[in-house]
Amino acid sequence: MNLSRPSRRRGSNPLRLVTLLLVAVIIAAACGSSRKSSTTTSGGGGGSTTAPSGKVIDTSACPAGSDTVGVTGNTITIGTSLPESGLYAAFSAILKGEKSYFDYLNASGGVEVAGKKYQIKLVDKDDQYNASQTVTNVQSLIDDTKVFALFNVVGTKNNLAIRNTVNTRCVPDMLIASGAVQWGNTKYPWMLGSELVPYPLEMRAFVDYLKAKKPNATIALLKAADDFGQSYEEALKTMIAGTSLKILQTQSYDPEGSNVQSQVTSLAATKADAFVIGATLLACPAALNAEGAAGWHPITYMSGTCVSKLLLGAGHQNSDKVISVTPLLDPADPNNASNPAMQLYMTNVKRYQPTADTADGIVAYGWSTAALFAEILHRSPALTRSAVMETARTLDGATGVGLQLSGSSWSTSAKDWFLGEDFQLIQYSVSQGHTNPIGSLIDDSGKTAALSPTSLLNG
Amino acid sequence: MSLFLTQLMNGIGNGAVYASLALALVLIFRTTGILNFAQGEMALYSTYLVWFFTDRNFPVWIAILLAMAISFVGGALIERVVIRPVEKASPLVLVIVTIGMFLAINSITQVQFGSDAKQLPRAYPGKTWLPGNVQISADTLVLVGVLVLECVVLYLILQRTKLGLAVRAVASNPESSSLLGIPVGTMLMLGWAFAAALGALAGALAVPASQPALSAASMQSILVFSFAAAALGGFDSTLGAVVGGLIVGVTQSLTTQYIHALSDIVLVVPLGLILLVLLIRPSGLFGSRRVERV
Amino acid sequence: MSRTQRTIVGLVCSVVVVAFLAALPHHYGRTNTVLWAQALYIGVAAMGLNLLTGYNGQVSIGHGAFFGLGAYTTALLMQQHGWQFIPTLLVAAPMCFAVGVAVGFPALRVKGLYLALVTLGLAVLFPDLTKHYVHVTGGTNLVSLDTQRLTPPAWVPTSVSAIGRDDQWAYYVTFGCTLLLFAGLVALVRSRFGRALVAVRDHEAAAQTAGINVAFVKVLAFALSALYAGVAGSCSVLILTQASADKVQTFQISIEFLVAVVIGGTATVLGPLVGGALVVFVQHAISATLPKHVSSTGTVGRVIANPASSPAIFGILLILFVFVLPDGLVGGVRRLWGSGRQRLLTRH
Repeated sequence: MNLSRPSRRRGSNPLRLVTLLLVAVIIAAACGSSRKSSTTTSGGGGGSTTAPSGKVIDTSACPAGSDTVGVTGNTITIGTSLPESGLYAAFSAILKGEKSYFDYLNASGGVEVAGKKYQIKLVDKDDQYNASQTVTNVQSLIDDTKVFALFNVVGTKNNLAIRNTVNTRCVPDMLIASGAVQWGNTKYPWMLGSELVPYPLEMRAFVDYLKAKKPNATIALLKAADDFGQSYEEALKTMIAGTSLKILQTQSYDPEGSNVQSQVTSLAATKADAFVIGATLLACPAALNAEGAAGWHPITYMSGTCVSKLLLGAGHQNSDKVISVTPLLDPADPNNASNPAMQLYMTNVKRYQPTADTADGIVAYGWSTAALFAEILHRSPALTRSAVMETARTLDGATGVGLQLSGSSWSTSAKDWFLGEDFQLIQYSVSQGHTNPIGSLIDDSGKTAALSPTSLLNG
Repeated sequence: MSLFLTQLMNGIGNGAVYASLALALVLIFRTTGILNFAQGEMALYSTYLVWFFTDRNFPVWIAILLAMAISFVGGALIERVVIRPVEKASPLVLVIVTIGMFLAINSITQVQFGSDAKQLPRAYPGKTWLPGNVQISADTLVLVGVLVLECVVLYLILQRTKLGLAVRAVASNPESSSLLGIPVGTMLMLGWAFAAALGALAGALAVPASQPALSAASMQSILVFSFAAAALGGFDSTLGAVVGGLIVGVTQSLTTQYIHALSDIVLVVPLGLILLVLLIRPSGLFGSRRVERV
Repeated sequence: MSRTQRTIVGLVCSVVVVAFLAALPHHYGRTNTVLWAQALYIGVAAMGLNLLTGYNGQVSIGHGAFFGLGAYTTALLMQQHGWQFIPTLLVAAPMCFAVGVAVGFPALRVKGLYLALVTLGLAVLFPDLTKHYVHVTGGTNLVSLDTQRLTPPAWVPTSVSAIGRDDQWAYYVTFGCTLLLFAGLVALVRSRFGRALVAVRDHEAAAQTAGINVAFVKVLAFALSALYAGVAGSCSVLILTQASADKVQTFQISIEFLVAVVIGGTATVLGPLVGGALVVFVQHAISATLPKHVSSTGTVGRVIANPASSPAIFGILLILFVFVLPDGLVGGVRRLWGSGRQRLLTRH
């Protein structure tokens, strides 16, 4: 082979072919990627896929003998996957809340299912927030650890990456730690979101608030450049249709970072009356600070995922009067200190996880979600995967669970696949250092699916 | 117009942050010929030290000085313990060692100080002025001021002192320097020590000025742009790091404001710019031509 | 040992290793099979990177982008267009090769450190591009494969494709690709092209005067390494049942390739495969096995048992490893073996 002078023919022909292929594939992929998904057989959300037995959960295609895996003697083994190391390790505070609850529950005798008491054993695996690591973790939990169910696996993409696995293996993927609308996809009955408020409902609540407060307000929107931000944007657009409210400008930012300074500068220049922050993690306080620096003081709404002591604190003075939603009691609010549910939480988290910060909402979320899981187990007529999943899918008004708001009731049904539709609009006060409720509890049961972007719901 | 100027200020503020870390990269590169992937994480640890002291009620400036002193010693120790054993190995091995440190230091920081984000106070009052609707914040002024100060100090030390001369001599030719009686090992340690202390100062000022809180991701989001800045400016040029940092910062914020189609892939612009510059000048805008190590 | 004896020993060893790898999924459950498959595909990508970095001296810390390109191509063709896995390789591999050529040309001008940084830019940009253009599973840039798409085609014997063991098929496909690409690598390295790679690395100007077309060699090295990374990415889709990308992930896998090359043995044929296995199994041992064997009492135990310290343990082990064996495992063994033989020879 003569390397110094490759013959022209040998060099160019394969190259041309490769280039053609490349172009063809890119076009095919681009066309296919977003539009192909419309060939779904069952409409998502509102529609229901009822099993022949009249139940939501159909076990006819499940692997034989899979229904009772994960229960040995009086122990139920469940598994979770979440970031415990790496850049997103702060999420591991959820695990502290969960472990405190299960330790407390086990110490007080365990959970009673169909007349028998069981201890709950939670096996956690670290995925560093990396979806492919979640896949191998979950496969190992199902095949090696032989868990009964997956519980509160963190992250939207992480759960989407395992949805085919859990659905064909018939393993409950319960109380997913994400308020995304994708858990309403009726093709995947083995997945259920947790009590987190579905993102589109936040916009519903805020637009109602705005209509009463300033009916012809102009709005500026900051959104994460992903499905999360899309949920806020589309719900906001749907909600303001036919009102005098108007979106002046939308800016998106890279959700893997928290640098939103330039975006907010641009939005501030519109001098809009209201500012919606469809962002998450540190981008929320960054947006609040940029807003303050611009001397812009609109009515500000911030994603419910950002309601935590730390993120609100990081906004300094600029967090004052910011509006958001919560499905739970604020552990930082001294007014809740006398509430017996709060006292139970405080005592047990201090006892079992002394390093956890009890005032941190993310710990309270872990505690409450664990309590909800125990409640679902308790209500299940039998200790099988299908019975527990069926119970969760047709939950009839769970109240007083963990740090659930008083008057709130969490329900699902064959027609309603979303759990966290009872919530409270709240406003933060810097001088008090905690949030205060605005108005009364909002009950949006059954309203999520209609507000959800269909590309996400059925995609 | 005021919007344009405000975005320009935003870009300069961000650019100053990128540049200050890029300066530390350049310093290590000029004194030891190593591309230090762990530079950002070393600065992260130093910044957590600042938080540690302020959390124990030390005044911010004292905390920064303490953290700089500890980082100075730590930087020297890292050179002596981690880098020295492999300094004669292939450059690829050195890349792996700094990648090992990159992983280790981030994780050690989280284990020692906790994974939750921290509130790091500013060392000065965080004010904003709005002359003619142009937004000028104390943060931007301080960042630019510190950047200028860093450049001046580095210049004076490297170009105007015997010590600097020795450091530069070692960097360009270790064997002959050693024959001249320059303690080569000590000079290399000093290079790392200065870079670590510089990183501590940069982190302590840049994090509260540009981020709402200090977290394990604080430096990784900056480091990529600092690398870009150093590549753009030329990896062995102090001036290049500064100019490169400012160019990256300003293109970023102007792209966000004026090119809507790219708003979710803003990175395309600075990276495209770098590729273009490197194609025309393979050693960056201000780099000298002989840089062909690694 | 005589030349024939060495050949025989080599052949026996290869047969044993290949037989072990071929029988492996029938003795292990899913978790171990998946780990071995991951070791293989990281090894494949590292083989390609070794061609570029080890043999040709061009450093890249961005090959995670080519890995991702291969993964997305395969995943999109399978999920959206109903292709079988193997035909997707015929698209993914040439495509990565072509993009490798496109990146390889500017790499002719940009050298050393600067090239490393430009490739880093590639690794950072790639996830943003997927987010911009790909909206598949749940409207995200994740492409998760339906379960029926993971099952092997009809001609595959059922012993391999037992129900619930799609991992076996995934493993064998990866294993097949590894064997094929390994054979290709051996042939390449021993060819005139292989010697040209080394000549260009060691002295570009001299290689040029010796009549080697330096540009052709360098661009081809880049393109081939991209192809290897792309095939590795394609294989990963079957094993991980999806393709996805974010900055942390793409950067991390780029680094894993480079680490595999160096700890396996730069510019050795076997090194990257050994390095790939080390990267996968050591990380697994740190995060899954180690915490079970340390008591979380005492400060040291608590620190080691803390999941947040696993990157630190890996990083420190990595540094210690290159202290002891700076030329990698294969390079180190070869050096020790060589010096041992030298001693034997001089004694007689």
